[in-house]
Amino acid sequence: MDLLDGGAKEETYLSKLKERNGEIGAFLSLDAARGKALSSGDGVLRGLSFGVKDNIAVEGFPLTCASRILQDLVSPYTATAVRRLLEQGAVVVGKTNLDEFGMGSSCDMSALGRTNNPWDLSRVAGGSSGGSAAAVSAGMVPFALGSDTGGSVRQPAAFCGVYGLKPTYGVVSRFGLVAYASSLEVIGAVAMDLDLLETVFEVMRGEDERDHSSLDPEEDECEVRRIAVLTGELGLEAPVARAYERAQEALKDLGFQLVEVGLPELEYAVPAYYTIATAEASANLARYTGIRYGHRPMWSENPQELMRKARSEGFGPEVKLRILLGTFVLRSGFQDRYYHKAQRVRTLIRRSLEQVFSSADVLLMPVFPTLPFPHGEGGLSSFQQKMADRFTTTANLAGVPALAVPVGREEGLPVGVQVMAPPFGEQRLFQVARAYRRVYTPEHPVAYPPLWS
Amino acid sequence: MYQAYIGLEIHIQLLTKSKVFCSCRAQFGDEPNTNVCPVCMGYPGVLPALNEEAVRMGYVVARALNCTLSRRTVFARKNYFYPDMPKNYQISQYDDPIGRDGYIDIEIGGRIKRVRVHEVHLEEDAGKMIHVGDASLCDDNRAGTPLLEIVTEPDMESGEEAEALIQEFRRMVRYLGVCDGNMEEGSLRCDANVSVNEAGKGLGTKVEIKNLNSSRFVRLALDHEIERQKALLEEGRQVVQETRLWNENRDVTESMRTKESAHDYRYFPEPDLPPFVPDEAFFAQVEASLVELPLARKQRFLSDYGISVQQADFLIEEKARADFFEEAVRRGVAPSTAAAWLAGDVAKLLNRYRVELDASPLTMDRFVLLMELLQKGEIHGRIAKQVLSAVFEEDKDPSRIIEEKGWRQLSEEELVKVVDEVITAHPKAVEQVKGGEEKPVGFLMGQVMARTAGRAHPEKTREVLLSRIRGGEG
Ligand SMILES: [Zn+2]
Repeated sequence: MDLLDGGAKEETYLSKLKERNGEIGAFLSLDAARGKALSSGDGVLRGLSFGVKDNIAVEGFPLTCASRILQDLVSPYTATAVRRLLEQGAVVVGKTNLDEFGMGSSCDMSALGRTNNPWDLSRVAGGSSGGSAAAVSAGMVPFALGSDTGGSVRQPAAFCGVYGLKPTYGVVSRFGLVAYASSLEVIGAVAMDLDLLETVFEVMRGEDERDHSSLDPEEDECEVRRIAVLTGELGLEAPVARAYERAQEALKDLGFQLVEVGLPELEYAVPAYYTIATAEASANLARYTGIRYGHRPMWSENPQELMRKARSEGFGPEVKLRILLGTFVLRSGFQDRYYHKAQRVRTLIRRSLEQVFSSADVLLMPVFPTLPFPHGEGGLSSFQQKMADRFTTTANLAGVPALAVPVGREEGLPVGVQVMAPPFGEQRLFQVARAYRRVYTPEHPVAYPPLWS
Repeated sequence: MYQAYIGLEIHIQLLTKSKVFCSCRAQFGDEPNTNVCPVCMGYPGVLPALNEEAVRMGYVVARALNCTLSRRTVFARKNYFYPDMPKNYQISQYDDPIGRDGYIDIEIGGRIKRVRVHEVHLEEDAGKMIHVGDASLCDDNRAGTPLLEIVTEPDMESGEEAEALIQEFRRMVRYLGVCDGNMEEGSLRCDANVSVNEAGKGLGTKVEIKNLNSSRFVRLALDHEIERQKALLEEGRQVVQETRLWNENRDVTESMRTKESAHDYRYFPEPDLPPFVPDEAFFAQVEASLVELPLARKQRFLSDYGISVQQADFLIEEKARADFFEEAVRRGVAPSTAAAWLAGDVAKLLNRYRVELDASPLTMDRFVLLMELLQKGEIHGRIAKQVLSAVFEEDKDPSRIIEEKGWRQLSEEELVKVVDEVITAHPKAVEQVKGGEEKPVGFLMGQVMARTAGRAHPEKTREVLLSRIRGGEG
C-alpha cells in the first residue's frame, strides 16, 4: 500500500481507516490529502502512512495536545523528527489522541475524545501516547509517533501489544514537540514491525540546529550477552508477574546470561519525576494565555482577565493540578525542600543505573504493574496511575533509552516488558527484541487486521 | 548626616543581526509584528537556539567591565506573567552569569571613582504592549532581541554620580560596538535602587525606581528620591520597600507596587539550552574585540597631546572621532591644531548638519590637506574656515574649492603690489600712520582685504604695509 501512488486501493484504505477510527478513537483528526502534499522523495519510507501524536507539530495539521485551549490551533510549522520522515517519503494520515498535554497514563485524560484499547474496547489504550499505540495495534497505520516523558510511549505500547521506543534523551530533536517536561521528554515511536521501528528511529535521529540539546552520538557496537533483571518485591499484578517471569526464562533459553539486581532508588523515582515534571510544566504551559493563539474567551475586561479566563476555561483538571504543583515546588524558599531534592534523587538514579550497566549490557524491567485497566470507575485512580509509573519514569530521569517489547498475552490482554540500555545504546535494545521475536511475534487483535498491506 | 546608596541595573540591547534565540531580524522601528516567527512568538513546540554572537558581545562587555568571566555560563527560566512576554517566562541567567565582580571607573568632579559591578548576564527582551483607546495591541518585534543586564553594587551616592556612570557606560558600549546606546529608543534602559541611611549605618530600606529613559532623568529621579527618603527619616518615619516610577511630567517618583506584591520569579535551570562553555578560540575573539575605553583614552590624550580638557572630552565622546584625531596626528597634523579645529569649527559644522564625523564630507584626506595648507601658510585661518564650510556644503576637496573660488592666498609679490596701490590711493591715512597713529593701519589693511577678497594673510599684510610706509620714508 503506497499512499503516494493513489488509486482505488488507497480509497478503500482511507474509508476503512475512518470507519475503524470510529470504534477505536485513535485519531483526533485524519487528513491524508494534506499529508501526501507534505511528503516528498523516494526514500526508505516511501508511501508508508503514519500517525503523529497530537502534541507534535505538522504544518497545516491541528496541534491540539488534546486540550480545549488549543482545540482550534493549526500548526504553522513541522517538527524536525516528522520532517525527516516526510523527506523519506512517509505520509502523515492524521493526528493521534493523547492525555491532555501528555499528562496521564490512560489516554482518558484527553479533553477531545476517548481512545479504546483494540484488544478490549472497554479498556484504556494507555497513556499518554494511547492514540498512537492503539492506531498501530488496530492495524490502521504501520507506525506512529509518540512522546515519552515518564513512560508515555512504552506504557501504551505494552497495553496495546506493540513495540514502543523511547530513545536516549537528545538523540531525536525535540523541535516541534509541544513541551510538557523539557528535561525528561523525547519523541519516540510505536510499531508492530521491529525492523520498521528501527528504520523510523534511524531516520529521525541526529543533531538538529534548532534544538541545542540534540546530539549525534557514535555507533554503539556492543553485542548483548548479560542482561540485568530487576527482582525483589515489585508489586506486580499476578498476570503481569507471570509474563515477566516467562520473559526471563525465554531470554535465558535464548542464551543470555541473567544477573539479578535491585534498585531501591526506584521508590523515589515517582515523587522525583512528578516534582521535576510539574515544575517544568508550570513554566512550559504558562504561554497558553489566549493572546497569541488558542482558545480565547468571549469577553474580558483587560489582558490579565483574558489570560485568567483562557486558562481556567481551556485547561482540564489534571493539567491545572500539575501546573499548581509545579508552581508550588518552585516557590522561593521551597526549592530546596522539593525541586533541588528531586534533582538529587535524579542524580542518584542515574548513578545506580550506571552501576547496573557496568556489569550488564542491558536492564530488564516491567513496564507497568497492571494489565490495561478499564475506562472510568472500574480502573485506576489518578493517584494509583501515578504510583504505577515507577518503572517507566526511571529511564526518563536518567535519560537512557528503553524499548517496550510485547512478550505475550495474559487473560487475552497484551503484556510487555521493557529493556533499558546505557545512553546511546538503542542498538542493544533492538538486539534483545530481535532475539525475543524468535519465541513471540506480536500480532494484531483478530478484529483488526492491517489495513495497509 | 545621611548617606545615600545607589545601585543601577542597566539593560542594553545588543547590536546583533538576529534575535537571541531565533533567526528573526533584531531591528528597532520596523512595522509591528514583521520580525516574528514561531520561536519568538513562543508557539507550542518551539525551542530556543542560542545566538553565539550575542554571547560573545556579552563576554566583551563583561571583560571591559573587568569582570571574572564565566568558564561555563548557564541559562535559567525566570517565570512571570505578562501579556508582552510570549512564553510567560523569560530565558535569563541566574547562578552562572557571563561575568561577575567587576568594576567601572567614572570621572566625577575631576576625580576618578570606582563603582563595583555585581554581575553581567544575558537575557531576552519582551514584546511591547500598545494601548489604543480600549484596545490592547501587542508588537512582538522586540520579543527575543538580546538584552544584556549589568548590575552594579550600591556604590554611588548622588544622582550626579549615577548620571556620570550611565554616560560613561553608554560611551563604553558604543566604543565596543555592542549597543547604540540610544536611551530614547530604549536600547539602553536603566532602573535604580536607592536607599538612604545615617552615615556609617550601612544600607537603608531599598526602593527601586523604574522608567528612567534618559541620563538626565536618572539624576533628577535619584536626587528627588534621596530627598524624599531623607525627609521621611528626619520626621522619624519609615521608608517603605517598594517599586516607584519616575513621573517625568511632574518630576517626582510615584509608588507602583510594594514588597507584598513583589514577584516570585521561581528561577530554575533552562532545560532547552545546554550550558555555554567557551573555548580558547572564543576567549581569543573576546580579547580581540576589546578597544581602549573612553576614560583611559581621555587621560592619554591629555598627557600625550597637551590639549584642553574640553577638547579631550569632545574628541573621546565618540570612538570614530577620537580615531580621526589620532589618525590626523599620525599623518603629521600638530595635535593642538587638530584638536582645536575638530573641537571647534568642525564640531560646529557637524552640529549644524546633524551628521557624525565618519559620515560627513570631511574625509581624513581632506582634513589633513586643509591643515597642511594652513600650516604651510598657503592659506590663512579665515580662509581655512571658509574652505571647511565649503567642504561640508559642496562635498569637494579643499584644493578644488580654493581653486574654483580663487581663494589661494596672495604671494608676497602680489601682496606688495596691492599694498602699494592702497598706499597711493590713501595718502592721508598713510601720513597719519607715519605720524604714529595706530587706527589708520586697520583701515588700510581693510582696504587691502577688500581689494583681494580676503585672500591676503592678515599678519603678513600688516607687516608689508608698515614696512612699505616706513621703508618709503627712509
Ligand atoms: Zn523569531
